[in-house]
Amino acid sequence: MADYERRNHGPRGGRKRRYREDDDYDRRQRRRYEEPLVVKVRRQLLTIAESAARRAEDDALSIAKNVAENYEDEELRNNFIDISLDLVLEQPMKIPFIATTVLTANTIKSELVDDVLKGTAERFQHNVDIGAWREVKLLLRFLGCLQCIFEGDGVFAILEELFSRAVDLQTASSEDLIGLELVKIILYTIPYVMASPATGFESHALGLLEKTDIIASTPHTLVDLVNPFGPDSDKSSSIPSVISLLQRQLQAESTRGWELTCLPRPWNNVRDSDESPKRVNDGSKHPFPEVSIPNPVRNGSRAIFPEVYLSVYGDQDIETVPPTSDITSSLLRDALVDTINIMDFNRIATAKFLIDLDCYFTPNIFVKRATPFDRLRDLPSDRSTWKPEDVAVDAVFSQLFQLPSPEHKLVYYHSVLTECCKIAPAAIAPSLGRAIRFLYRSLDSIDLDLSHRFLDWFTHHLSNFGFTWKWSEWVEDLELPQVHPRMAFISGALDKEIRLSFAQRIRGTLPDPYQKLISEGKEKDTPDFKYSLDTTPYANEGREIMQLIRRKAADEEIKPLIAAIEEQATSLGVESPILPSTDAFVTAICFVGSKSLSHVLSCIERNKERLLVIGPKSPAARRQIITSVMEYWVDQPGIGINIIDKLLNYTIITPLSVIEWALVDKLSAGAILAKTHVFEMISATVGKVTNRLRQIVAARTQPGLYEPQLSVLDETFTREKKDMHSLFQVIEDSVVSVASGSNDELMERGDGSGNLPEDEIIRQWGKHWLRVFRRKAAVEEAYITDAMANATPVGTNAPTPPPAQVEEITPVDALGDGDLDVADADGTADIS
Amino acid sequence: MSIPERHHTVERLDRPSAYYVGKNKKRRYNDEPEEPKDPMEGLRDATTLYVGNLSFYTTEEQIHELFSKCGEVKRLVMGLDRYNKTPCGFCFVEYYTHQDALDCLKYVGGTKLDERIIRTDLDPGFEEGRQYGRGKSGGQVRDEYREEYDPGRGGYGRAYADDQRQREEEEYGAGR
Repeated sequence: MADYERRNHGPRGGRKRRYREDDDYDRRQRRRYEEPLVVKVRRQLLTIAESAARRAEDDALSIAKNVAENYEDEELRNNFIDISLDLVLEQPMKIPFIATTVLTANTIKSELVDDVLKGTAERFQHNVDIGAWREVKLLLRFLGCLQCIFEGDGVFAILEELFSRAVDLQTASSEDLIGLELVKIILYTIPYVMASPATGFESHALGLLEKTDIIASTPHTLVDLVNPFGPDSDKSSSIPSVISLLQRQLQAESTRGWELTCLPRPWNNVRDSDESPKRVNDGSKHPFPEVSIPNPVRNGSRAIFPEVYLSVYGDQDIETVPPTSDITSSLLRDALVDTINIMDFNRIATAKFLIDLDCYFTPNIFVKRATPFDRLRDLPSDRSTWKPEDVAVDAVFSQLFQLPSPEHKLVYYHSVLTECCKIAPAAIAPSLGRAIRFLYRSLDSIDLDLSHRFLDWFTHHLSNFGFTWKWSEWVEDLELPQVHPRMAFISGALDKEIRLSFAQRIRGTLPDPYQKLISEGKEKDTPDFKYSLDTTPYANEGREIMQLIRRKAADEEIKPLIAAIEEQATSLGVESPILPSTDAFVTAICFVGSKSLSHVLSCIERNKERLLVIGPKSPAARRQIITSVMEYWVDQPGIGINIIDKLLNYTIITPLSVIEWALVDKLSAGAILAKTHVFEMISATVGKVTNRLRQIVAARTQPGLYEPQLSVLDETFTREKKDMHSLFQVIEDSVVSVASGSNDELMERGDGSGNLPEDEIIRQWGKHWLRVFRRKAAVEEAYITDAMANATPVGTNAPTPPPAQVEEITPVDALGDGDLDVADADGTADIS
Repeated sequence: MSIPERHHTVERLDRPSAYYVGKNKKRRYNDEPEEPKDPMEGLRDATTLYVGNLSFYTTEEQIHELFSKCGEVKRLVMGLDRYNKTPCGFCFVEYYTHQDALDCLKYVGGTKLDERIIRTDLDPGFEEGRQYGRGKSGGQVRDEYREEYDPGRGGYGRAYADDQRQREEEEYGAGR
């Protein structure tokens, strides 16, 4: 798995020195030897089109000549073929340029192209068999660019075959998504064929488009689920599905003679010194490589959902990105999104591609890089106002805000934006600023999951750039009620910033009107211990318990104090005396452990036995543990939810108790729904439950599983699935009352009319919460159904003699008790 | 599968660092005849990262906040000065899965925490004792001889600062 070439912009400090040595070495060598041809070709190929200072066409010609004229050099030939195909699959924006080298080589030595096609066919077959649809799309794009060298219909034959598979799938089920994916692949291939040197395929393209229309234009049932704006928002209708948009754009393009202005045509400009351009379509013809499409096709490892086209620059008075009426919008977005998602293993390379975007498309469709937004007004009206950095940033945001979830962890997309900003701060920072303003303005209507992703990215991004933001422009919003989405965002953002830094530092970055948002308590490393005030009930016992915990005393010593509190409470007529005693115990643990996460964890560890018996005594006691933690850390809720998370791992509290604590006990007429850390806590808790269930599903569906393990696992699965359902049900029941305004407390507020200015806002929060958790429930349900479709039925016995791999399935026993920790479950999942 | 192994057209960021590879190379000198080892050996299932260039003042909570963006953190071990038992600018972060650790190398290594660019390296796993600095005066070795002033890491390198002080004293004495 050696990399072809180490680039000298590696992120690691240690590299720098090594490179200098490498360079010196090369220089000495160069005096004595010529650079070997294979090295030169490799370098030219890997960097093709990367620099605006070199003509990609010249490099294409030089590569083609060198390889074709030295056809008998096997190393050179194989390098050329492998690297070309690797580039097709890994750097999609270079496909037209790779195709140009192949087309040029075809005019010199057509046998070479036979070999390229053979390699392409192998990779195509492999990817189509495993259902890697993005790779299939990219290989088809490459073949599409080569259309002019094929006999007969060339790539259209395979597109027709894909279409017939899509029809089968769509006819079989209206919920089918693979068929839609196939149609999308067809649609994304057509423009590249039509921009290629091949001529006379207009009727083929049009014929296909007529057929795909019905599938592409019918909205999928799940498309509302992935809309970044809720169904109530007027913005939601402005979000087209990717496939319907592309269908419309292609139809429009067909009436304009397939202009496809954005696509580069390097093949038209390959010239030897002063000669006129080479006629690449005069090369010899080849049969289209033989590949077969499985029937039915299967899906690979990536779950498919409908995709929508989101732009954060859609509502500006000057157009800085192509409008959705122009096919350029889809073609750029597609190439960028693939580049971003494929290149997750090197975010710096990704950022470089994004910044150099204008090198890979028709240059004059953009304004010059880093042209300030205000300067766009001064451009003549016939000139493009599209900013390459806006197009690039827009594509990253489309992934960051992909529902239900993007291909990679969210932090990857954060890191790409950070790198972009590092490479070209003057160009990128203002683009991000406009994106931030759009998202901030959309806070009342954007999906709650996404507003949270926005919050998380925004604060993480600022932490990489000295926490500088023009807070002054939002000062007016500080007058808004606490539950207003913008106020919630501002408070949530400051809190998150503090979590990545510290209160005093963040205070220093804020204008005066914001100072009041950073309470004194946030600056305290150790929050006060309420039992040190004599006015607090059970103050003496609380203090003594704290001293004992600090001394790491044995539980026997703590026991009498707990009993003392409970006795007092009983005599005072407290209904559940376990609550005040639990409060004192847990608060003392928090206080003693306040120095750091490891301190509190070792405190919890030492007192685990007592904590573990509190929970089973009563649901109220379980929730008291949460209350005590969250109240102790009321000014730094981030630390509180972290501790809650660990308590869940210790099974000291249950996921259900966390949900009930927030959405039943502390609902406060729905106002709690506006708190960003509560959403974070509930999402994390739900995530824990769903992840665990997915691990159990993975264990349950592993091949080669037989009785009796099968029944044991199935029982665990059934039980945990039921638990998950009841968890979602609690959320549903509680939040639905807020959303519909029927929550008792909500109705009793003010004059009881439900018409307080904040009431409508709170109902909106309810609706947003509902949408998020209903979607989560639906996604998990779909995942389970999908996975269980291939599970071995209960009652299946091992064939005799039993196959060897049964012995490997030992972790299954660990699952039997249904009480494994997350790490073990991972081990089990790995077997499949 | 008949398909040729896919090479990458650009370097991957989730590889062990030159430091780790170099360290292993040195070891090999002692038992010469051994075959050159794959640098990924011992790291194939690694779930732990070494994190370097932290400020002495960066807290566990801050580290947790950033690193949990790549997955749930199983354990966090702060690097401590061998003598003072105070943070000395590094830590170990352990995840539940190997993939989370790789993702962290790719997405978090080389970005800022507490306004410093941090370094991450795949690590074969924490062992008791490794939480302490290996420098002469108790901190990390790099903080002994550092000639640049770094307010987040105790000013100048300790040995360097001592040296300077001594020289100043000598020169002062000579002047008299």
